[in-house]
Amino acid sequence: MTASLTVSTISADQHRAFIAGRSSASFLQMPSWGAVKTEWRSESVGWFTDNGAIAGVGLVLYRQLPRVRRYLAYLPEGPVIDWDGDDLSRWLDPMVEHLRGKGAFGVRMGPPVVTRRWGAATIKKAIADDALRTLDEVPADANDTAGLAVVDALASLGWREQATEGGFSAGQPKYNFHLPVGDRDEDAVLRGMNQLWRRNIKKATKSGVEVRLGGRDELADFHRIYAETAERDHFTPRPLAYFEKMYDALTDEDPQRMRLYLAEHEGDLVASTTLVQVGAHAWYSYGASTTEKREVRGSNAIQWQMIRDAMASGASVYDLRGITDTLDPSDPHVGLIQFKVGTGGEAVAYAGEWDLPISKVLYTAFDQYMKRRRS
Amino acid sequence: MSLTLRIDGERWRGHLRSVADAHPGLVPVVKGNGYGFGRPALARRTQWIGTDTIAVGTYTEVPSVFSRYDGDVLVMSPWRPFLPEVRDGSAYDPRIIHTVGRLEDIAELARSQPGARVVIEGLTSMERHGLDRHSLSEAAKLLGRLQLEGFSLHLPMAGDNLDEAEGWIAAQQASQLDTNTVYLSHLTDSELTTLRERRPDVTIRPRIGTDLWLGDRRALRVRASVLDVHEVRRGERVGYRQRAMPRDGHLLVVSGGTAHGVGLEAPTSATSVRQRATSFAKGGLEAAGLALSPFTVAGKQRWFAEPPHMQESMLLLPSSVTPPHVGDDIAVDVRFTITTFDRVEID
Repeated sequence: MTASLTVSTISADQHRAFIAGRSSASFLQMPSWGAVKTEWRSESVGWFTDNGAIAGVGLVLYRQLPRVRRYLAYLPEGPVIDWDGDDLSRWLDPMVEHLRGKGAFGVRMGPPVVTRRWGAATIKKAIADDALRTLDEVPADANDTAGLAVVDALASLGWREQATEGGFSAGQPKYNFHLPVGDRDEDAVLRGMNQLWRRNIKKATKSGVEVRLGGRDELADFHRIYAETAERDHFTPRPLAYFEKMYDALTDEDPQRMRLYLAEHEGDLVASTTLVQVGAHAWYSYGASTTEKREVRGSNAIQWQMIRDAMASGASVYDLRGITDTLDPSDPHVGLIQFKVGTGGEAVAYAGEWDLPISKVLYTAFDQYMKRRRS
Repeated sequence: MSLTLRIDGERWRGHLRSVADAHPGLVPVVKGNGYGFGRPALARRTQWIGTDTIAVGTYTEVPSVFSRYDGDVLVMSPWRPFLPEVRDGSAYDPRIIHTVGRLEDIAELARSQPGARVVIEGLTSMERHGLDRHSLSEAAKLLGRLQLEGFSLHLPMAGDNLDEAEGWIAAQQASQLDTNTVYLSHLTDSELTTLRERRPDVTIRPRIGTDLWLGDRRALRVRASVLDVHEVRRGERVGYRQRAMPRDGHLLVVSGGTAHGVGLEAPTSATSVRQRATSFAKGGLEAAGLALSPFTVAGKQRWFAEPPHMQESMLLLPSSVTPPHVGDDIAVDVRFTITTFDRVEID
C-alpha cells in the first residue's frame, strides 16, 4: 500500500540536495531559476513521506492576477516527482492543497514526461512528403507508454492541457529536439550527423574557427551579436541584464551550471551560445551568430564543442530545446528543425502544459486576460 | 411465385469489365447478402473478371467463396482471438489475408500463426477499427514472421476523403511498416486517379462493392409475381389486421415480403431529404397507417394495404387503374443489400 505524502515549503538547500541525488532535472526546476524570474514570486516545495524523507521537489512561480491577491501557481517543466507511479493523485492532491493555501486560483505545470519520439530519418522523410504537415501526423518511432499514461491520468483527474500553436505555447515548447549522447563516443556522435553537419564542422576547423569558454564580462559580446541575430530572425531580444542575472543565479548555484561559449575567426566573434547543465541533461539554451562570415560555420563549430563538453561532463542527453511541429517546407520554422535534425538526434514530444483550475471564476478571468494579451 | 432479379447479362458484364479496366488492382467486395446476387454467384463472377484477390466481410463468409474462386481472399473485418474460426483453426489457409488493427492481436497472431498473411489497418475518421498512426512503429516491431501484404484504410463515405487518404498513406510511408501496397475503400474514381498521380510509388488496391456490382442499375430489373387480385369496397376489412379499406379498388397480393427484405427498415445511408424520401419509398414502412410500397403498377408506386407479410405483400390499387392479371410480373424497387431474391436470372 502506498503511504500518503504531504507537501510543504522547503529551503533552497533542501531543494538542491534532493536534485543532486537524482540523475537530472530541468533547470527550470532549480531554485536558481526562481532567482532569474524575479518578476514572479517563487517557492521551493517538497513532498514528504511519513518518516520525514523528501520524495519529490518542485519550483513554483507565482504569477499574480491583476488587482487581486490571487495567483497562478506555475511549475515549469516540473514538478520533480515520480511520474511513473501508478497513482498520480497521491502526488498532485497534496500539492494542489498546499498551493491553494498560498492563494493560488489555479495550477499550471509541465510534466517532464516524454510521450513520443521521432528519429532523424523519419523526420527527414516526413519533411520531404507534402501530405504531412505537422509532426503529430507522422507515426512516432517510439511511444512512451508511461508518458502516455500520465497524459490519460491528468485528463481523468480534471487537468486541462493548454492549447499550443504550432507547438509553441505561451510556456515551454511541447516538441523538443534531443541528441542522445550517453552511450556513444565522439566518433559515433559525429558519424550520426548528416553530411552537411560533418562538412561544416570540418570546414570551421579548417578555416581556423576557435571555440572557447567566456567569462561573465563577455556576456556583453554575446549580447551584441544576439541582438543582431534577433533583428535578422525577427524576434524580440531580451536585455543584457537578463542574461547577467541568469548567469549570476545559475553559476552561484553551481559554477558549471551555465557556460558561455564564443567562436572566433581571426579575432572576430562569429557565434556565441550558452549551455546549461543539470546532472546528465545539458541544454543549448541561447544562440547567436553574425551575418558576416557565415561561411566559416561558427555555429556548427560551437555546437560541436558544446556537445563534446556536455559528454565530457557526464551528460546523457544534449538538448537542443524547442522545435515547432510544422513540417511545411514553406514555413520558416522548418529550417530550425532541419538544422537540429542534422545532428542525427530525435524529436521528442512532452506531455505538454496542464492547468487545474482551483477557483473556476478567477481561472476563467485569467484565461480571458491571457487571451486578450496575446491577441 | 417469386421475387426475381433479372440481369441484362451483356450490359452487366460490360459494366463489370469497364470497372475492372478503370481500376487496376481492383479487389471486388463480396460480403453480406452478396448485394442481392448471393456471394457464390459473385465469387464466380470475380473469377471471370480475373482479379487476384476478393474481399469478404467476415470469416463466416469465407467458405461461400473459397471453392468458387482461385485467388486470395481478404477478410475485411478484423482478426480477433475470440472468433470461432480463429479458435478452431479454420480461419487459416495460405490463400487467406487477415486484417489486423490492434497491437495485441498482431502479437497474438504472430505467436500462434507465424507466416500468416496480414494487412494492417489504420484508424481513419470512421473510428471503427484500426491502429492509431503512432502505433504503426510498434506494429512493425510485433510483426515477427507474419507476412505483411499491405496497409488498409476504410474511409467514411461522406465528405472529401482524398486528403485523409493521402495523409494516411504518407504516414504509413514515413513509418517503419515496410509495404508499398494500400488497400482502400470508398474513394471516388477521380479521387483514386489523383491519388495514383500523387503517389506513383504506391500500389493502390481499391476495394469496390456497390459501385461494381450495382453500378449500372439499368442492367438490373426486379420483378414480383402477381399472386391474386380481389375487388374491394371502401370500408371493407382485409388482411391480418382487418384494416378498413380507404376507397374502392383492387387488392393485389404479390410475391415479396419481409423474408425477402421488403418493407424492412434499416437506417438509410441517404443524406438529403430527397434521397431520404426516395429510400423510404424503397424500404421503409411506418408502424401505423399506410405506407408507399416499392411495387410499381401502371408506372406508379402503390400503397401497401397493410404491413407486408413474411412472403407476400398486399397492395391497394384504386379503381381508376386496370389491375394486372394473376401471373403477371410487376416492377419492384429494392435496396439490394437487404434483399433476398427467390431467383436470379441472367439473360
